[in-house]
Amino acid sequence: MSRESILETAKQSIVEADEDMALEALKQAEESGIDLIDLLSNGYSAGMKELGDLFGSGEIFLPELMFATQVMKVATAEIESRMEPGDIKPKGVMVIGTVEGDVHDIGKGIVASLIKTNGVMVHDLGREVPAQVFIDKAKELNADFIGSSALLTTTMTQQKKIEELLETEGLKGKIRTMVGGAPVTQRWADRIGADAYCEDASEAVKKIMEWINQI
Amino acid sequence: MGKDLVFKALRHEKTDEVPWVPFAGVHAGKLKGYTAEEVLTDGDKLFESLMEVYKLYVPDGMTTLFDLQVEAEMLGCDLLWAKDNPPSVKSHPLHGEKRIPCSCQIPNENSGRLPMILDVMRRIKSEIGDEVALYGLICGPFTLASHLRGSDIFMDMITDPGYVSELIEFCGEIAIKMADMYIEAGMDVIAVVDPLVSQISPKHIDKLLTPTFTSVFDFIKSKGAFSCFFVCGNATKQIESMCKMHPDGISVDENVDLKKAKIVTDQYNITIGGNIPLTTTMLYGSQQDNMKCVIDLLDNLGHQNLIISPGCDMPYDTPIENTIAAAQAVKTPDSVREMIKNYQSVSFDDINVVIPDYNNLDKVLIEIFALDPEQCAACTYMVNIVKDNFNEIKDIADFEVYKYNIREDIARTMKMGITNLPTMCINGEPKWVSLIPGKDELISEVKKAYSLLKG
Repeated sequence: MSRESILETAKQSIVEADEDMALEALKQAEESGIDLIDLLSNGYSAGMKELGDLFGSGEIFLPELMFATQVMKVATAEIESRMEPGDIKPKGVMVIGTVEGDVHDIGKGIVASLIKTNGVMVHDLGREVPAQVFIDKAKELNADFIGSSALLTTTMTQQKKIEELLETEGLKGKIRTMVGGAPVTQRWADRIGADAYCEDASEAVKKIMEWINQI
Repeated sequence: MGKDLVFKALRHEKTDEVPWVPFAGVHAGKLKGYTAEEVLTDGDKLFESLMEVYKLYVPDGMTTLFDLQVEAEMLGCDLLWAKDNPPSVKSHPLHGEKRIPCSCQIPNENSGRLPMILDVMRRIKSEIGDEVALYGLICGPFTLASHLRGSDIFMDMITDPGYVSELIEFCGEIAIKMADMYIEAGMDVIAVVDPLVSQISPKHIDKLLTPTFTSVFDFIKSKGAFSCFFVCGNATKQIESMCKMHPDGISVDENVDLKKAKIVTDQYNITIGGNIPLTTTMLYGSQQDNMKCVIDLLDNLGHQNLIISPGCDMPYDTPIENTIAAAQAVKTPDSVREMIKNYQSVSFDDINVVIPDYNNLDKVLIEIFALDPEQCAACTYMVNIVKDNFNEIKDIADFEVYKYNIREDIARTMKMGITNLPTMCINGEPKWVSLIPGKDELISEVKKAYSLLKG
């Protein structure tokens, strides 16, 4: 079987959220001697990208995205288990969380999963995360990006605090920030000086990949 | 009467005006200085706050209690309370445990916060129920199911749709029971509020949600009340599926293009409500922004089958003057169109306005900078509190009212740097913005200013 056809099977397995198909593509790749990083980047990840685009344009919705992300996680774990540690270098490091006072974390969890499946090391701080913890963790991991989610008009102000702390610590511009959540808008991001506003998970991935290409 | 206007709109009849239904949930508490938690748990404070909404915002219809967590709390979800937000659900009893709760958990009049809520509904009904259409809000079955099950529910929709159907059916029974109790307590409109509906495909809605939701709307209508369906988020693709459940009205937030959505709802002869943006316009915008937003909605949409409302539950800290401006724009669009022109006027330099020398007056000068006191309820209250008590202070105070539809007064308002109306100044200093002082507070401030004047 040709490389193209195996990569296409891998891609489709994600788009169709078909775990059996995903594992079959992996088996075929191994039998054909295809580089597994190639399979991950140009097969499964290409499927995630297409899925993200379909989600962004409203062709698929949250359940389909979450289910396909699960299949992607299985495929990624299978590949990782076949490789030596250090073979897969993360494309970047991100710290993500829902801000202090806010327990809504469905959206943040999806953004984290989707970014992770695109080869970025994501450290999910969970929910109700104080601004200082974002900064401390980002410093500890030497992170490239901080993502914060706020679902309430009153907790949005914590995103501003993250920007202020970055400024104080002299990290503004060194660590790029993205903000999201139902009441958050581009106008808010501009106002607090965040580097990006992302409306949904697929936009977040696009923005991260754009930044990675600039690094 | 405002109530009839809402009824007519929900009966899809032609109306002379467009109804105005502000969603002052926790924001109602701000009007009386109460926290969100106080206003959602203390009946007297809720009642007092709702009466203030009625007084200041001249609603044709109004919500009573806006808290989608009432049902979840009764079913065992832990809540995280906040000063300035409705509570959030922080634990999900069915997380990791796929089961249907016992029907013994279906609430009754004595469950959770219901005794307080039903009591306030009855009091509000008896106080203003003849004038205003009262909305009772219940948590939609899908959002309630997600409160119970957590985000697992999204995976269940694909891996075990039968379970999801059953869970939603159970939540539908709760919705029907809640609607029944709220209608008995005097609610005219039952709004099924289900923000999560915007997150799933029309196919999933049709398959898993429609049977239950339709039976909830049918039940509400069978009890002689109106039924509405509130959704948040970008529900553009879901609107048609929502229409097929046959509610009397649908309400959407700013993520939906109301003009395009109305084309769909009109085909089903369903009334659409919305969608003043909550944060950019109501919370962080100016009075002008709010007026312009409402006028744009009115000018771009057919007026039949239309209700003007905020996109969803108003943020706690929404400036009161912004809501007053929105109300004014719905009630008197023609005069507000003129005001907007005035706001946009480049300059009033040709008008010579003399600002008094406030430190050297004989008497204290009370100045009210208003929109249009004849038509803006808050402005009228502000003017009346001074007029009604003027006898007691006439020897030490003078009193002027400026209106934002008179060029000279606009120039004065601008020169004074006053941006929110109505504002009451004492000797040139803004003392009350949108809030109406009590008699004692007013007299005390005037006396204090008089002593300062006389050194």
